[in-house]
Order: sequence, then C-alpha cells, then structure tokens
Amino acid sequence: MSTLSVPLAPPAPPRSTATRVRRALLFLAMVVVAVVMLYPFWFMISTSFHTEAQYQSGHGSSLSSWTSLTATIPIGQQLLNSTLICAASIGIILVVSVSAGFAFAKLQFRGSQGIFLALVGAMMVPLQSILIPEYVNVSRLGLTSNYLGAILVYAALGTPFATFLMTTYFRGLPDELIEAAVVDGLSYPATLWQVALPLALPAIATVTVLQFVQIWDDLLVGLLFLQNPSERPITVGLAVLASGRTTSVPLLMAGSFISAVPAMAVYLGFQRYLVRGLTLGVGK
Amino acid sequence: MTALVTPVAQSRSSVRAERPQRMRLSTQRRLTGLLLSLPALALVVGLVVIPIVQAGYYSMTTWNGITSTWIGPGAYTQTFHNPAFWQVLTNNGLLLLSVPFALAIPLLIAVLLHERVRGWRFFRSVYFLPTAISWVVIGMVAERFFAYQGPLDKILGTHTDFLGNSSTALLSLAITFVFSMIGTNTVIFLTGLATLDSTVQEAAFVDGASRWESFFHVTLPHLKRFVQLAFILTVISAFSALFSLIFVMTGGGPGYSTTTMEFFVYQTGFSQSQFGTAALYGIILFVMMAIVGIGQLKVIRSE
Repeated sequence: MSTLSVPLAPPAPPRSTATRVRRALLFLAMVVVAVVMLYPFWFMISTSFHTEAQYQSGHGSSLSSWTSLTATIPIGQQLLNSTLICAASIGIILVVSVSAGFAFAKLQFRGSQGIFLALVGAMMVPLQSILIPEYVNVSRLGLTSNYLGAILVYAALGTPFATFLMTTYFRGLPDELIEAAVVDGLSYPATLWQVALPLALPAIATVTVLQFVQIWDDLLVGLLFLQNPSERPITVGLAVLASGRTTSVPLLMAGSFISAVPAMAVYLGFQRYLVRGLTLGVGK
Repeated sequence: MTALVTPVAQSRSSVRAERPQRMRLSTQRRLTGLLLSLPALALVVGLVVIPIVQAGYYSMTTWNGITSTWIGPGAYTQTFHNPAFWQVLTNNGLLLLSVPFALAIPLLIAVLLHERVRGWRFFRSVYFLPTAISWVVIGMVAERFFAYQGPLDKILGTHTDFLGNSSTALLSLAITFVFSMIGTNTVIFLTGLATLDSTVQEAAFVDGASRWESFFHVTLPHLKRFVQLAFILTVISAFSALFSLIFVMTGGGPGYSTTTMEFFVYQTGFSQSQFGTAALYGIILFVMMAIVGIGQLKVIRSE
C-alpha cells in the first residue's frame, strides 16, 4: 500500500476481483454441502405431508400422517419413556463419574491409578462384544421386564468415558483449593460437594449433553433390554416399525421428525459442550 | 499441657499430638478416594468386565439358550471354517475402505469453513445438525434414498434397488456411514484448525508457498492429533456403531452382504438362538477393537 493513501479510504487489495470470485465460489460450495447435510430433514418434513399413495405417486399433499400420528404410534408414551430412561441413566452416570473422577484426580489412594486405567480401558469394549452374557445376566435378574435393565446398561456403558472426562477436568483444578477446604475443616466428601462440584459444572454439562444425544438416539440397548413394548423409547419404537415394513412411510417420517426434535434442540442449545466433549484429550 | 513441661518436651509432644491428626487425614483421604471410586468400579465390573469374561467362556460352548455343551478352543477353529464368517469379516474390511472418505470430506469441509466466508457459523451448525439425529432416523431416510425408483435412481437415471442388490448394498451402507460421520469429524478438524497459528500460515505464504503447499506442509502436520482422533473414532464407529443403520436399512442382507461382525452377533444370538457362537463373534469383535486401540496407542507413544 502506498503511503499516500488517505487513511479513511478502504485499502484496495490487489486482485480484488479474483478474491471476490474465490469467496463467491467458496460460498457456493458451502451452500451445496448444506443442501446435502439438510437432505434428511427436508426428506422427513416433505414426505410427512403426503399420504402413502401421494408419496408413491409424488403428487399432492396431505396432513393425514400428522393427524393420525398419535393414533398409530404411541408417540407420547414413547417420548416419556425416552425421557425417563435418559434422565435416570444420566443421573447414575453423573453420580458415579463425578465421585470417581474426583477420587482419581484429588484423592490418590493405593491402586487408584490401576482402577482408573481399568475403567478407562472399558471404553474399548463395545456392547456387541458382551451382548450375550449381558442379556442373559440382566434378564435372569428379571430386569428386562422394566426400565431398570436398560437404565443400568446405559449407565455402565456411559460411565468409562464420563469418568475419564471428569478425572481430566478435576486434575485441572489446583490441589491447593482442595487442601485449603480440608484444612478449614471440611471433610473430603463435603469438599467435593461444596468446592469441587460447583466448579465442575461445565464438565457435568458436557457429560450430560453427550450422553443425552447418545442414549436418546440408541437402538440396540432399548431393543433388547426392554421386553415390554409399552416401555420402548421413541427411537426403538420407530426402528421396530420401520423394520416391520408395514407402516406408511409418511407416518414414519412424521414420527422420525418428532423423535429428532429434542436431540436437535439440545444439540443446538449446547453445541459448545458437545464439541468440548468430542475433542477432549487432544492438546490445545 | 502443664506449665511444668520444658520447651523441648512441649514441642515434641505437640509433634506427637499432630501426627495422629495428619495420619488420620491422609487415611481419611485414601479411604474416601476408595469409597468414591467404588460405585463406578462396581457398575463397570458388573456390567462390562464380568460379561466379557463370561463371553470368553460362552464362546467355547454350543449354547442355544437351553442346552450347553463345552467344546473348548475348537469352537474357534470351527468358526474359521464357516464361509459366512469370512464374508462378514470381509464386509468389515471393505467398510474400512470408507474411512479415508469419512476423513477427507470433513477435512475439506472444515478447511472451507475455516476460510470464514460470510455465514460460516450458520453453516457450521447446519453441517453438525445431522450429528444430533439418530442413525435409526438417518437409516430410514437412506433406505428410501437408495430404494427402487427412489431419489438416487432418479438422479442417476437407473432402475436399481440399491439395497436389495448384493453388489451395491454394502456400498450404499458405506455411503450412509460416511454421511453420518461428516458432522462429528468436521467439528474435530474445525477445532484443530482454530488452534492453528495463522501467522505461521502467513509466513508460509510470504515464503512463496502456494495454498496447496501450505496446506500439506503447515496445516496438515498441525492437525495430526486431530486426524488421529477422528481416525480412531471413525474406525470404532465402523466396527461398532453401524447396528442401527443395518437394522433399519438392510437387516444384514441380501444374504450376508451387509452383515458386519457386530450385526452378526445380534443375528446369531437373537435370530438363530446360537448364544455360544454369538458370544464367540463378540470376542472376535473385541479383538478387532483391541488391535485398533493398541495400534493407536503405539502410534501416540512413538511420538
């Protein structure tokens, strides 16, 4: 830039046309990607406003799948089931992972390192690897005939990563903080409750959001560990209907859209917590 | 303490008085630590560790839910003679071929977003949105997308039932899988790019590097750990998160053409009631995951 240019004039970058064309092309590319990524949503919504016949022929529109939705799929009950199972599992995961994370990070005891590694190592075990014994054990205990079996399985599957996350988070808190509280006469559990827990709220939010999306969207556990169809969460109910191939496609799409709304809302509202959870453990 | 005690004795006794207090505190700390970690440990041992040991035992039996006969390690050699097993394992291998796409496409998208074109925050949210919805729902949409006379047929001008055809079913599944991974991996790469020091890139430009060169010599090496994370996450998903997609889209068929090891476990156990063999496939899946995990650890350690 020349030293003679008037300070207020916008600096004219060289090759400004080229830059502008480049930006426009980039923008266009992003729009194309957005269209692809939004396709499932567009498909669900547009299909739901047809009857089965209209969907097959591709002409006309109708509200019938929305008006008959609750009569065909027990969507209210299933949403309630999903909410209940998510809340209970996440509750258990939070209680055990916050206390264990605090213990591993701040209350080292003999063998704490080993227990921590064993717990984190359990992350590598996929449910399918233990599916048969898990199913046999849980059903022998009579827990597949109520919510408890699925809740416990979700809790156990979510605990390793949650514990890892909480431990990492608590390690970031200064030891002096805990020591000061203990010197002041607080017991260790009281220190966790009154000092560490309020500071850990961001990590707790991350665990909650990650687990919510995971459990809400899951199929396998709900499919096998809830033998009572009236206790099925919405995702499982939809998958079973879809695999039966007798329910009309527009109706399924209306139900799918409803099922997707809570997870999308949580995701859009708490995006940064999800992102933090995903990239945890990678250096800054 | 009495006034008769000499100063030396006094200080000694105060040490004595303090020591049990300190001991009690450290004992208290260890005990609390142990107690606080027990619930998590009990949950994971009871519902993950014990079952994996049981799975190892079941895998060497012919258990059908009612009667069980011990076969021993021979059960594994029997399995290796089952052609369906090899087909399933091949499917897992073929699905791994989709991993580079599940990494390269999000990397490209992340680089696009990182240019910070107008509205990039909005686009970021849009790209991540499918991550929130269940793979059950994505599978339902994909089933229609690949169906006979469905949208893909119309785009390509073909008349193929892509999921009903054993030569295209697995490819369709892989494409759906790649689509489903885009949001997660894009966000991982975008987080990585955000940590990139832009002055380094500018320095590369000043030195006369092209965009292309600066990407391969500056950006990509910087993203190494993020690529590793996305890679392991994608491989784990390919091996253990496709159940929903397969269940909704193909049910593993036609034949075994879209059955992966994780679905094979479910099918063998719950459609054919061969609990022993299903447990064996579960162990094989576990070994596959362990190989990936150990490989990953080695790569990280070597740096």
